[in-house]
Amino acid sequence: MINPALAQISNAALISAIMAYGLAMLAYACDFAFNKRQVAALTPASASATREKVGQAALVGAAPGSDLADHMFGAEPADISQLADLDDRSGGASGAGSGTVVQSRWPTGSWLRTAFVLTCIGLVVHVAAIVTRGLAEDRVPWGNMYEFIAAITCAAVLILTLAAVRFRAYYMGLFVLLPVVIALVVDVVVVYTPAGEVAPALQSYWIAIHVTAMIIAIGMYIFGAVTTVLYLLAARHEARVAAGRESAVAGVMAQLPGSAKLDQLAYRAILFAFPAWTFAVIAGAIWADHAWGRYWGWDPKETWSFITWLVYAAFLHARATAGWRGKRAAYIQMVGIVCLMFNLVGVNIWISGLHSYAGLPH
Amino acid sequence: MTTQDTTQNAPEAVTEGTATEVTATEGTVTDGTATEGTMADPGTDPAAGQQKARFGPVGWLRWFWRQLTSMRTALVLLFLLALASIPGSVLPQQGIDPAAVSQYYSEHPALAPILAKLSGFDVFGAPWFAAVYILLFTSLAGCVLPRAFRLARSARQPPPKAPRHLGRLPQATSFPSELAPARVLESAAGMLGKRRFRLRTGDGWVSAEKGYSHEIGNLLFHVALLGLLVSVALGGLFGYKGNRLLVEGDTFANTPTALDVFHPGRLVSATDLAPFSLTLRRFDATYITSGSQRGEPASFNAELSYAKQYGGPTHGYDLRVNHPLNVDGVQVFLIGHGYAPVFKVTDGSGRVVFNQPVPFIPIEQSGLTSEGVIKAPDASPEQLGFSGVFLPTEYVTPVGQLASAFPAAEQPRVSLVSYAGNLGENGGESQSVYNLDTAQMRMLDVAPRPLAPGQSITLPHGLGTLTFTGYRQWASLAITYDPGQVPALISALAALAGLVMSFLMRRRRIFVRATSDGGDRALVEVAGLTRSDAAGGFEAEFAELTQAFHEALEAGGAGARVKSKGE
Repeated sequence: MINPALAQISNAALISAIMAYGLAMLAYACDFAFNKRQVAALTPASASATREKVGQAALVGAAPGSDLADHMFGAEPADISQLADLDDRSGGASGAGSGTVVQSRWPTGSWLRTAFVLTCIGLVVHVAAIVTRGLAEDRVPWGNMYEFIAAITCAAVLILTLAAVRFRAYYMGLFVLLPVVIALVVDVVVVYTPAGEVAPALQSYWIAIHVTAMIIAIGMYIFGAVTTVLYLLAARHEARVAAGRESAVAGVMAQLPGSAKLDQLAYRAILFAFPAWTFAVIAGAIWADHAWGRYWGWDPKETWSFITWLVYAAFLHARATAGWRGKRAAYIQMVGIVCLMFNLVGVNIWISGLHSYAGLPH
Repeated sequence: MTTQDTTQNAPEAVTEGTATEVTATEGTVTDGTATEGTMADPGTDPAAGQQKARFGPVGWLRWFWRQLTSMRTALVLLFLLALASIPGSVLPQQGIDPAAVSQYYSEHPALAPILAKLSGFDVFGAPWFAAVYILLFTSLAGCVLPRAFRLARSARQPPPKAPRHLGRLPQATSFPSELAPARVLESAAGMLGKRRFRLRTGDGWVSAEKGYSHEIGNLLFHVALLGLLVSVALGGLFGYKGNRLLVEGDTFANTPTALDVFHPGRLVSATDLAPFSLTLRRFDATYITSGSQRGEPASFNAELSYAKQYGGPTHGYDLRVNHPLNVDGVQVFLIGHGYAPVFKVTDGSGRVVFNQPVPFIPIEQSGLTSEGVIKAPDASPEQLGFSGVFLPTEYVTPVGQLASAFPAAEQPRVSLVSYAGNLGENGGESQSVYNLDTAQMRMLDVAPRPLAPGQSITLPHGLGTLTFTGYRQWASLAITYDPGQVPALISALAALAGLVMSFLMRRRRIFVRATSDGGDRALVEVAGLTRSDAAGGFEAEFAELTQAFHEALEAGGAGARVKSKGE
């Protein structure tokens, strides 16, 4: 039975979470604007020095004829760590880059601290909204699009906070919270579905396994996509600076690590997301076998999760192929997130299939 | 992949010689990633260089194989497979929703036959789709097999010698030690050995390597994908699936003729079907009765009894969604439900020519309004036919239309149109039981009044009567057998395990050199290199390892000092 009081609390909590995230975004923006630990902007000289070294590193992997050195095993990850090292080294040597930042695990500066605390408060309230919704409905609270979006955004913020602490990636705050807040507002205003029961097809413990894995994987993919957008901007910015040209995003870029670090962070996100997605698809297949009598039936949702899987697999292979890592791989990842979003939204709206109960309220 | 590595022909020369920074790094990273003979390899075939210009058939084959198994081709094929899948999600598919395909034909009469020629309604069985994935899997196999051999070979070889200039490696550090070089190296070998590195020692150096599980994981992932393909094929050859609509009280035996729809695998014959029979004793559906979800289903339960052999002992089973019945590996699923109103038709001569439930097919879900037809071919003087709707909970819309307000049968009514004439069943073509061919029939003038259970229509001109005596429910069952199921699951889990393994593990090498500073103390150089640090963390591992090593040497040095003082 539905508990309407708890459902109300859940709704209020979700709106509170959105407000906390909004304030956190403001504080992140203020941190960018007013913080005192301005990372020295890349000068043309130091940028070209970095590029030179990166170029060498790329050459290592791309030694003539060795580009395909290994189908899927490539020398690529070695290059990544080398790129990161080179970035650090050149940064340290020239006094630019992240070398001057105090390497503390926790946020530094009052604006950033405020922003991070607000993010954490928002996250706690967000989790509370999901938990109370689940209690109100007496089931796993991801049975429809409204609940699913609330859960995915929660996963994205959770991943943001973990990545911020683990990799000192506090600079990601503003950029991850922006799509999260937009999605949550759309969720509350357009997609809202009152607390209720789910169809017999969803009454299975597999929902807790399959959909939870999907939520985590999607949260990670979103984090990776946001990071990759920043990477593409940073790479463009660095190229312009190196060419001695004006860069429109110099102010923001001064707050971010170099493109190599962003690239590595995005790659790590996908390295986590891809197995999680694989697991989620396998769990979905087992459930499908249990509910519909076949583990794979090319239902539109299944087809698009397969397509998404292929594109991200192509991304991982591109990372191991000379001439494809860097920007091209980043574009493949962008294709991947578009496929993913189409699967979440487009398939539900335009294509009917067995998964259509996961759709929008009618 | 089977590509040539410029440095691998002379790795020893590179590591031992005074190489440039770049090649020194590369030389130690690659460990005999030997070519597999698919390329002109100067090392094994001196004439190959001259053959470059003129390709014979073998040359072309080699060239083709090399292209096919290259990473770029794999990338392109991955994208092609993704692209090829898209039409399968956009166009209706024969194997998934044949009714939608028929509808597509009627909506796009010009386009549909062309799409059908291009396998547009059977994308995942299309030759061009198969071509893409077969090429992809060939490419994969062509890559994985040589790699497996290479891994086996390099696992038997000792780690490479330590490069001369350790300072040039990505991770490098150096410090003095009070111990003699030999003691330093001994200590290094001890520590690395304890951490289960494979060791090789030489004059003034220790070389250590660890992390083959990265490559094993990667191979496992790709081999498991091949296993998945085989499992799917197994299901396609030896599996079968069928559907059967069963009205409450009816029994059916698992034979091809008793199934409404039967899709056998290529190597399945009628005798391969598991010989069970089952009866639908009762079907129950409950619906949400209030709130915004009113009318949505809350639960379904099909009460079955089944016998594993014809005439054998029967067992009961509650078949529900997400709760299939398993009879000796064959699974039975509940996939649909509906109503079967029961009709009794008496013809002009007073004879009962029809008396049975007729499954009606739902045309919408919120009220389960269902359509169906009744055919009485034995009626005389004329054959009779009826088509109409069943309304579980009848209500009249403001504009005067009949509709159903709720899916449960709270106020069941049928509304029928009556026909008399020739049902057209003698043409030899088998007709669908759900369609009434009214081409040779005329509509009878009967007052359009919905019937409640027990009510009748009296047909004009003494053609007979029809009585709506009541209703039953039906359930549609899917019966599937897939011997590839368990292998597919094992393959998928193995792929996942391989994936995680290859992402978490890194293959890395640690080199230690100790040289005398002229006295009895040593200058210690430690360097590290990783080949596959996908998830990151080698930097931290190297720092931790170096520190532990440093501390061990300090302790050893202190011990040595104490010892010498004691003497």
